Amino acid sequence: MPPPLLKMTGITKHFPGVRALDGVDLTVAEGEVHCLLGQNGAGKSTLIKVLAGVHQPDGGEILWQGTSTRLKSPTAAMRLGIATMYQELDLVEHLSVAENISLGHEPTRAGFVVRTRSARRTAAELLRRLGHPEVDPATLVGELSAAQQQIVSMARALSHEVRLIVMDEPSAALDPDEVRNLFRIIERLTADGVAVIYISHRLEEIRRIGKRVTVLKDGRSVADGLPAVSTPARDIVALMTGRDVEHVFPDRSPGSPTTATPVLQVEGLSREGEFEPVTFGLHPGEIVGLAGLVGSGRSEILETIYGARRPATGRVFVNGEPLRPGDVRAAVRAGIGLAPEERKAQALLMLESVTRNVSVSTLSRFSRAGWLDRTAERTAAQQATRELVLRPDNPDAQVKNLSGGNQQKAVLARWLLRGCKVLLLDEPTRGVDIGARAELYAVVRGLADEGLAVLLVSSEVPEVLGLADRVLVLREGRIVHTAPAGELDEHRVLDLVMEGDHSS
Amino acid sequence: MTQSATAPAAEKSAPDVPPPRRPALGFRLDMRTLSLLGVLAVLVVVGGVTQPDSFLDTSNVQLILTQASVIGVVTVGMTFVIISGGIDLSVGAIVALASVWATTVATQEYGFAGILFTAVVVGLGCGLVNGLLIAYGGLVPFIATLAMLAAGRGLALQITDGKTQVVTVDGVLKLGERDSYILGVPPLVMVFAAVTVVGWLLLNRTTFGRRSVAVGSNAEAARLAGIDVRRQRLYLYLLSGLCCGIAAFLLIVLSGSGQNTNGNLYELDAIAAAIIGGTLLSGGRGTITGSVLGVLIFITITNIFALNNLETAVQQIAKGAIIVAAVLVQHRTARE
Amino acid sequence: MSQNVNTTRRRMLFGTAALSAGALLTACVSNQPKDGGGGDAQQAAVADDKPGKKVTIGFAGPQADHGWLKAINDNAKNRAKKYKDVTLEATEGSNDTAAQIGQVETLINKKVDVLVILPADGKALTQVALKAMRAGIPVINLDRAFASAQAYRCWIGGDNYGMGLNAGHYIGEKLKDKKNARVVELAGLDNLELTKQRTKGFDDALKNYPNIEKVARQAAEFTVESGQAKMSQLLQAQKNFDALWNHDDDQGVGALRAIKQAGRDDFLMVGGAGALSAFQEIKQDRGVLKATVLYPPTMAASAIDLARALGQGKGIGGMAEFEIPSSVTLYSAVVDKGNVDQYMSTGFR
Repeated sequence: MPPPLLKMTGITKHFPGVRALDGVDLTVAEGEVHCLLGQNGAGKSTLIKVLAGVHQPDGGEILWQGTSTRLKSPTAAMRLGIATMYQELDLVEHLSVAENISLGHEPTRAGFVVRTRSARRTAAELLRRLGHPEVDPATLVGELSAAQQQIVSMARALSHEVRLIVMDEPSAALDPDEVRNLFRIIERLTADGVAVIYISHRLEEIRRIGKRVTVLKDGRSVADGLPAVSTPARDIVALMTGRDVEHVFPDRSPGSPTTATPVLQVEGLSREGEFEPVTFGLHPGEIVGLAGLVGSGRSEILETIYGARRPATGRVFVNGEPLRPGDVRAAVRAGIGLAPEERKAQALLMLESVTRNVSVSTLSRFSRAGWLDRTAERTAAQQATRELVLRPDNPDAQVKNLSGGNQQKAVLARWLLRGCKVLLLDEPTRGVDIGARAELYAVVRGLADEGLAVLLVSSEVPEVLGLADRVLVLREGRIVHTAPAGELDEHRVLDLVMEGDHSS
Repeated sequence: MTQSATAPAAEKSAPDVPPPRRPALGFRLDMRTLSLLGVLAVLVVVGGVTQPDSFLDTSNVQLILTQASVIGVVTVGMTFVIISGGIDLSVGAIVALASVWATTVATQEYGFAGILFTAVVVGLGCGLVNGLLIAYGGLVPFIATLAMLAAGRGLALQITDGKTQVVTVDGVLKLGERDSYILGVPPLVMVFAAVTVVGWLLLNRTTFGRRSVAVGSNAEAARLAGIDVRRQRLYLYLLSGLCCGIAAFLLIVLSGSGQNTNGNLYELDAIAAAIIGGTLLSGGRGTITGSVLGVLIFITITNIFALNNLETAVQQIAKGAIIVAAVLVQHRTARE
Repeated sequence: MSQNVNTTRRRMLFGTAALSAGALLTACVSNQPKDGGGGDAQQAAVADDKPGKKVTIGFAGPQADHGWLKAINDNAKNRAKKYKDVTLEATEGSNDTAAQIGQVETLINKKVDVLVILPADGKALTQVALKAMRAGIPVINLDRAFASAQAYRCWIGGDNYGMGLNAGHYIGEKLKDKKNARVVELAGLDNLELTKQRTKGFDDALKNYPNIEKVARQAAEFTVESGQAKMSQLLQAQKNFDALWNHDDDQGVGALRAIKQAGRDDFLMVGGAGALSAFQEIKQDRGVLKATVLYPPTMAASAIDLARALGQGKGIGGMAEFEIPSSVTLYSAVVDKGNVDQYMSTGFR
């Protein structure tokens, strides 16, 4: 029996403060579609990048056709015949299809004159092989649909001598017809002996084209090479979720108030192409979780409520007063605060001190005619950060030197200081290590107990279930289920968010 | 750097009473300012050694400060703009336009007040146009102010028709002469000092300054924190325009005339002074003190060269070398 | 363009920006000169004033962003207006070499009879001037010389070396009885060839006076602002000297300002070029400025005369030659109190 095409054993990879991969085994045979499953943060992206030669593993062994191999660089991986299609398509929008496909290995004359016609011929040939002769190699990639861009990305992968293609959620942006076409292409590739590592959240896709399944959880492969068709869905979900971190969540306060009038009322809010009209209310002291996959419209809903995006339809009311749509300042004035997903890019002034980061939304309170009372500012900011036990307890510390958890606390302190009534949390624990998460959960629950209404978005289902009082399940821009958190479990939520279109 | 001194202290002390670090005046001499002062000190020594008679006397100090006044005022405005993540390439052109508009025959009929008023209002007007184009028109600062540079210079040339407009208003001329010095301080230098102090206070003690830094540090975060980023940008370019208007008036007083060639390459001098003073070209960080020291360093270098009768070519080479050296030193101190 | 149109356009351009101050500012824009000047110089007439064969003269000069260049344009235009038989095709002045080449090409295509070119850069415009010559259009090269003598029929221009020479001699004569006399020089833009020539002439002249030493030289940029800045530093550096030569009267406005601010009057100053303000200062004789050496913008008027003569196939008067000379170097006259009235009308602003 020939050795498998790829065999990875005991792969580990550490980043400062994070153990991204902690012993991953993966075996892929020639001509096989091998599915890789796991929740967000389970280590899939890191594993892909190790395979693509972007990251170097700290430990473990990679055997390529039976010989031990080091993937020193993306070029090295490419030379072996490993191609990667990232979820975020890495195409250059302002270049043509042909130019994108031949990028980095353009056919040239005398070493530098690009032979445009030859590049176009090659591109056309590849596109024909992929069953898309209608894509003109001369078009700019930016003018193509998402599905067509996917094809171009695949053509680029195939423009090299390819033995293994890694596809990271290739179906995420496609409609059912396009998905069927994608599967046809995959079948043709595997018939030629090319192996595919296929990553998707949609179980029914895995059943349709997958041969074997490897499940990752917390950086470890918890199952290696299960049969894709015959393994029960319940088992797969159990493998993905079986975790023991429930105890970090604080107790819910007895009898969470749901009878009071809602402080935040969202009515028929929608944005074209992002989410369908959603309606729900948020009561003081209540934590509501929004569960859903990446791309289900979670963050978009939050940002639209906050006025950072302008809604197509619908309104937002705070204490019965309608908010001006698309106006962040109106939302802030009304008492809404946002802790955005991209903390560093969207919330923090990295070079500034903790005090200045905390007080930035409340400056007018500490000023008369624009003149700042810096003592008052500092005292108040420090009071807020102490309430959240932000470390170090130094108002002059630069935010960039804080840990992820403490950076998040600085953002929360900003809104605590402002005295906001509604707090929107988008992936509050992203980049926060496990220990600090528990502390953050306690902080959020503590804020709710003081009467704040919290809307929580997280792609980690246990987080939503453990922290929220009530859960709204989102799928493809629609709320498909609403229930008290106690009535749901992780399997049920995952079933709800992963069910395909036709099965709902 | 200042941080490493306080962080361990904070960790050690009980959570209750970490003494808030508040030096008197809240004015702290950080490494950057100290290194700039060091450079200035070295220059003073060089000047004093090479030209003991002419460098170290009152009239030369008066001269250096006077010559720093015009570009200094422009640099204060520029510093705000750069801190906020923008750039203003039109400062030289605005100075030129304001100075010729304020010295036309017709303006001069309104006397001192007419000249001052026109210079300031033209400066503000140009700043307003810049600000509207950038904040509400969505133009990139580089492009908007480059357009203003071209238009301002063109309009200035059209107004003067290439001629030198000599000022005949006595009050304005007198202000630039020795009789007007108060306790040995030229009025131009007083204006420069006042603009510096106001600029420092504005940046360090007001919500305006805080918001400017926030916008430059992270515009998206500032917006999501509820700051009106666009209005802030508008105000910043207005401020730069105002500084140009004041500088134009100072230049009129100093040179006794208005010419369309005025303010030649001020944009580069002001940017260079701000950068040397520690302002990050990418925004979010900068000090008025640093910028003003940057201006003084430049003017002092020029002064020493002139006193030693060095050629223009040598002066330019040295100037370039000093810019590079200063920025390199800063990168080093910033990393530590 | 009439003043009226100018004002209207400016009002439109800046109407929005000036806001409430609009009324005052608009009024302030007007720059109507109170008396004439700079323009038409009434000099000795050339060969024949009587209308002759019609001549179309193409004129291409740099952008008039400086008093002297402005005077060049005005001299050319006013001179051409004087002749009924001359049509002047003047381009928008430009400092951009490529743009100026394009403008000259256009004039060639229009088939003008004679070209007068003051190039933004003599070397860069040589090729297009050659092209005109080959197309049978004689070129009068004004002031800044082309790289090849084949590129023009006649060159007319000022004498930079002579300017320095005459300034040096004037100062030398004034100081010849003074022991250990000290002289300083405020030069123009140092990266221009003409500045070097002026300095060379000045130095050569001073060699005739062993009692005089040039103790300092700084270069300004032909602007008032730079003149003020550099002069105040020269004054600080040199606490006593006997004479100053300033290359350019425009920057001289700034230099005089610096001298006044420093409260100095212990030396004599000689200017350069021949600005109206300098002439007036010399005539009043109240300050340090005692003389200026000419670099006359009237050369543009003379160039038009030469072009007209060329177009009509005539020589110039006062000479025995049938053809006009291939090169005319103007004399850099010294204007002082004694003869300033004669030159007053040629002074530029």
